[in-house]
Amino acid sequence: MMKTKKFTGVLLSATMLVGLLAACSGGNNEPSPGTNGGESGDNGQPLTMSFFSADPSPNWAGMQDEIGKLLTERTGVVLDAEYAVGDPVQKIALIAASGEYPDLISAKQDVAKLVDVGAMLDLTDLIEEHAPNIKALFGDYMKRLRYSEDDHAIYVIPTYAAVDSQNFNAGGGFGLQHRVVKELGFPEIRTVEDFENAIRTYLEKNPTDESGNKNIGLTLNSDDWRMYISVTNPAFFTTGGSDDGEFYIDHETMEVTYHFRRPEEKEYFRWLNHMNATGLLDPETFVQKHDQYNAKIASGRVLGLIDQDWNYGDGENALKAEGKFDQTYGHYPVTMSEEYLETSFWPTGFMSGSGVGISVDNPDPVRAIKFLDYLASEEGQILLNWGVEGKHYNVVDGKRVIPADVNNRKVNEVANFQRETGIGLYTNIGAHYGDGVEDSTGNFYTTSFPEQLIEDYNDAEKEVLDAYGATLWKDLFPSEDNFPIKPWGAAWNIPIPGDHEVSVLDTRLRDITWKRIPEAILAKPEEFDAIWDAYMEELEKNGVERAEKGRQEFVEARVALWND
Amino acid sequence: MEAITAKKPEKQKPKPKSGRFFKIALQQRYLYLMSLPFVIWVFVFSYLPLWGWTMAFQNFRPGRSFFDQTWVGFDHFIALFSDDRFFLALRNTLAMSFMGLIAGFTVPIILAILINEVRQQVFKRFVQTVSYLPHFVSWVVVAGIVTKMLSTENGAVNDLLMFLGVIDTPYQFMAKGNWFWSIVTAADVWKESGWNAIIYLAAIAGIGPELYEAAKVDGASRIQQIWHVTIPGIRTTIIVLLIMSIGHLVSIGFEKQFLLSNNLVREYAEVLDLYALNYGLGMGRFSYGTAINMFNSVVSILLLFIANGTFKRITKESIM
Repeated sequence: MMKTKKFTGVLLSATMLVGLLAACSGGNNEPSPGTNGGESGDNGQPLTMSFFSADPSPNWAGMQDEIGKLLTERTGVVLDAEYAVGDPVQKIALIAASGEYPDLISAKQDVAKLVDVGAMLDLTDLIEEHAPNIKALFGDYMKRLRYSEDDHAIYVIPTYAAVDSQNFNAGGGFGLQHRVVKELGFPEIRTVEDFENAIRTYLEKNPTDESGNKNIGLTLNSDDWRMYISVTNPAFFTTGGSDDGEFYIDHETMEVTYHFRRPEEKEYFRWLNHMNATGLLDPETFVQKHDQYNAKIASGRVLGLIDQDWNYGDGENALKAEGKFDQTYGHYPVTMSEEYLETSFWPTGFMSGSGVGISVDNPDPVRAIKFLDYLASEEGQILLNWGVEGKHYNVVDGKRVIPADVNNRKVNEVANFQRETGIGLYTNIGAHYGDGVEDSTGNFYTTSFPEQLIEDYNDAEKEVLDAYGATLWKDLFPSEDNFPIKPWGAAWNIPIPGDHEVSVLDTRLRDITWKRIPEAILAKPEEFDAIWDAYMEELEKNGVERAEKGRQEFVEARVALWND
Repeated sequence: MEAITAKKPEKQKPKPKSGRFFKIALQQRYLYLMSLPFVIWVFVFSYLPLWGWTMAFQNFRPGRSFFDQTWVGFDHFIALFSDDRFFLALRNTLAMSFMGLIAGFTVPIILAILINEVRQQVFKRFVQTVSYLPHFVSWVVVAGIVTKMLSTENGAVNDLLMFLGVIDTPYQFMAKGNWFWSIVTAADVWKESGWNAIIYLAAIAGIGPELYEAAKVDGASRIQQIWHVTIPGIRTTIIVLLIMSIGHLVSIGFEKQFLLSNNLVREYAEVLDLYALNYGLGMGRFSYGTAINMFNSVVSILLLFIANGTFKRITKESIM
């Protein structure tokens, strides 16, 4: 009797707990997208459209920034944006599975999943009828907007790749703190050996910073997908290969190789192994998370980086905000040896690819395309890049000039400035011209052109560049003219269906690589070869050759699609 | 009362069984009516989704009707069972759940008994509150705390061990695969013990004080009172909860593993749910994901029946 009573009690409390949970989770029904009504055309009433982006935008202010308010005024559209946190791949898979699509979607490479489920609208006719600015912007490149060989529909307006862009800014390569090169009398930084020596010499002289904390030689960012950026992609750049995702594509034969299988790259990882063995590589490299990595950089103790500026921007911006310009980073075109050219600037032509599309759930596609068309117009692009005339820039003698105080805030208080003004927040939402393209008044569309860039540089940066006889970081790197244009653009932006064999193989190979590369780097130098051989064998066992072959078919199809 | 109602049917002639059932049902119609919403609720949320299992036998493409899907039979299961990574994930899942089960059972019980033995009311409340607070901290934050504590740079654990002279150089806890299971279990114990102790405390509170008094009169010490009164008093609760958590062995979620892992320990960190996420849902392979999930459910049910049967035989207590 006692027993059953007890049990009933437990059961009852368990039931009540469940009931409680159920009660808690009720009531916060999210407003479902697409319930906001609104008819075609501008009826004066702002229309709220939900928007999902696969890239994070931490400074997004819900269009309450200065540019955002103007955009709403001029286009009658308010974006209710959701930015992916963490791994966007899973979020997009969820959106595809749920059948409730945001009105506008920027899914980057994963757009294939959405197209598969029929979530994306074909924009061909919409652009033809309602988007003169988009048509003018892309011009001959319209062919590159087509989805695939079998499906010539346009599902996204490419918003990541800029049209006719010229690079002025070098944000990648190997990074060294300005204080390091300064103290060593500006030695040439051209090979990994130079880079290593600079770090070692400086570290021997200054094992700690002013407040007694240990300086760190080199640290990498290995958190999730950032592994590609900071750990594995540099293997391309330092060995004369062009970055094509996880694959190396021979320019002449178009033969595809899983890039870790190139013997040159083995030597790059051997060098990293050596850096670890000699204590120059931060022992926490493969344990730390992205925020810890940036916190470390913000502490100013990390001498060298191998990363892109946008990946360590938060850390570096914190240094700038504190005025520690000496501890921010320069960019150097480091390769394994002098025989290689650094390939950061291997040209791809207009990349098309990732961008914003309109979903089938959008209540008013015409208004949506008009909104996107406005972003692509001259007026729109000047607004997004420069801000509001008289507030963020002035026109002096027909030239757009950013006042010194505005520019100072823009460079040194990046986050706040962006949140208030919205400059830079909308660039990847609309199609746009690249750096170095002039508008109808003869001004550049974007704010990064040589003079403006130099103005943005801080004194420490200018001093270092001066010592190396350059005006821009880009000057140190081999320019685009050294390389032939890749007719396939870049392999990493060729969309591949989710359940295609190549995708499955890619995931498996990625898991192997992400396990083996850290293992090889952290191993004792004498064990490196054995681990590398085992890694190669494992790759072969898991179908690396099939993955290469499958990928090659996609590359060939892309070349045909873009150049017929 | 009981005696009368129990006798009543005996007096009457035994009727055919079905007729009696309907008669009782009619008598108790209000009770049946009251339970109806819950039956529907369970049916809708627990049984209707089972229809989705059909996906595992198709090459499911979202947005198409059921009849337009291609059927592939057991292809996904064959792929699943011939994948090494799946077995790796299974091993990790079982290892971490067993460790979690053992630690997650003993610690809250001990904690509950210890808290119960504290006679000073204020202190007792304080300890209880503090111990269950971590339950409300999200795993993201806990993972951050754990990583920081075990860091080689000013991590509290390494600093302490160095101070005590146990090690000379900081130890990379987070980089060693064979530590991962223990770290996850320890973090889990820290986070959930206090919370899980609550139910045992409630059960202990239900034990009649006269039992303790009788034990005291018989000359039982504090330890003996715990052993002979407290523990037998909460035995039912323990076993019921144990059987229920055995049913959940395979589905331990993936939050902690996902947040605490890094590439160096991936071999030890990938659990079934993570595997399903990476190789199923994450790649848009819904059918494959469903196959994994079906396997999980079948194993869970098996484990539940085995555990229930075992306890029924040994202790005569069960939940079914």
